[in-house]
Amino acid sequence: MFGYVRPLQPELRVRDYDAYHAAYCGLCRALAKRYGFRSRFLVNYDMTFLFLVRASVRPAARTRNCFCPARFWRKKPCICDDGGYDRVSACTVILCYCKILDNIRDSGFWKGLGYRLLKLVYHRPWKKASKDAPEFADLVRAKLLALSELEAAQSPSLDATADAFAAIVSACADDLPDEAVRRPAQALLYQVGRHIYLCDALDDLAEDLRADGYNPLRYRFVPTQTGLQAEDLAYLGRLMDSSVNLAGAALSLLPVRQYGALLENIVYLGLPAVYTAVKTGRFRAKAKEFPRKENQP
Amino acid sequence: MNDPYEVLGVSRNASDSEIKKAYHDLVKKYHPDNYADNPLADLASEKMKQINEAYDSITKARAAGGTSYGSSSSGGYQYGSQQSASNSYSYGYGYQGSTGGSQYREVRSLLNSNRLDAAESMLNGMPNRDAEWYYLRGEIAFRRGWLDEAAQNYQMACSMQPGNIQYRSALQRVSGTYSPYRQTNYQQSSDLNDACNICNALLCLNCLCGGGGCGR
Repeated sequence: MFGYVRPLQPELRVRDYDAYHAAYCGLCRALAKRYGFRSRFLVNYDMTFLFLVRASVRPAARTRNCFCPARFWRKKPCICDDGGYDRVSACTVILCYCKILDNIRDSGFWKGLGYRLLKLVYHRPWKKASKDAPEFADLVRAKLLALSELEAAQSPSLDATADAFAAIVSACADDLPDEAVRRPAQALLYQVGRHIYLCDALDDLAEDLRADGYNPLRYRFVPTQTGLQAEDLAYLGRLMDSSVNLAGAALSLLPVRQYGALLENIVYLGLPAVYTAVKTGRFRAKAKEFPRKENQP
Repeated sequence: MNDPYEVLGVSRNASDSEIKKAYHDLVKKYHPDNYADNPLADLASEKMKQINEAYDSITKARAAGGTSYGSSSSGGYQYGSQQSASNSYSYGYGYQGSTGGSQYREVRSLLNSNRLDAAESMLNGMPNRDAEWYYLRGEIAFRRGWLDEAAQNYQMACSMQPGNIQYRSALQRVSGTYSPYRQTNYQQSSDLNDACNICNALLCLNCLCGGGGCGR
């Protein structure tokens, strides 16, 4: 469920591109610093966006060249903002651990073995993160339970199922003390969480139809054997556009000091581009090179 | 109070027209239409107030301080625009065309104070389900960010009362081609625009002259 929130790289300014990379590498560094080397592998684009939202209202932090184990022959610029990364890294570890548990439940014995191993590997970081953000860990558990109940009941509601995930993403901003920052941040993250969930549902639809798995789109609309009908897809596209509009309206109200242009790129260009790529099937085929090769918003 | 120039995002020695443009862009960005039925509407209205005050204080200071700015014309414009902005603002948040009884009015006041659960339970307790009922249900869903449910309820309200503009515009907002004013920082850069314009002009010239193999 990760990787759906990205900037549209061809439209980024070079300094925003550099800032995005420094934020990504900074998250990786912060994860390792707090939760050990193994947690470096949990770094992802979506959580980098979460950091950018939180850091946008903070004073600018220092960017330093730090050691990168993936490219050990040269140092990489990292944003060193421990205060900004604390909550984000705890949320990252908790969400990824829950994702592993979810995968164990969904997969069979042999495939599940790998996930069980991962669960062992990340159990200690998860325990530590749950201590760092106990209310977030509780909320994630409760919402994922609600989501699995909806799935078991084969709920046809896009909103109720997406709400469970969107509420988790928006709760990442629950600890912000200032109301004038917290409310727009929560509203923005809620719509982004919704976007992630619905993109994921659309991406998995063909597979779920084949394997007879649960997918909210399958029960909300009447799909063909391979995917949604054209008018349903158009309707879904309009809902996604409204989601982006609401996210943009919330972003405008965030009192940003930095990263404003980068966040606008992600919300106004990145989210629609990812949805379009998911719709046409290009996202799954070229997920890794997506932000670089995609030229059309 | 914050520095008015900072609020409008312009430098202290910006010209009158630059300030006017910045003010216009901000008014469009935080216009109540973009925050209709949005739980963040109060924050947007606060922001709008700050912008109006900042513009007001800059134009007043400039009118009083220097004759080089053409004080009379700028003052006149400022008054007019602020008047219209504040007018449309209160219009945006006031509910018009309410046909329901006292219960609907109560639901609306609960909605205005963002007490969505109370509004929903009150609505669910009503036996009579007319267009207004579906519209209000849609509004509750919209404020929660539940766009699919909002669209379905608005659709229902529209099919029961096709002539109602309020219902139609609500439906348009959630599942239509409605797009609010957007200004990204990428569009603001004049250098970039100039560069794009040059590229466009060159491309057009190239096409007109049959270059690039397009005509083959």
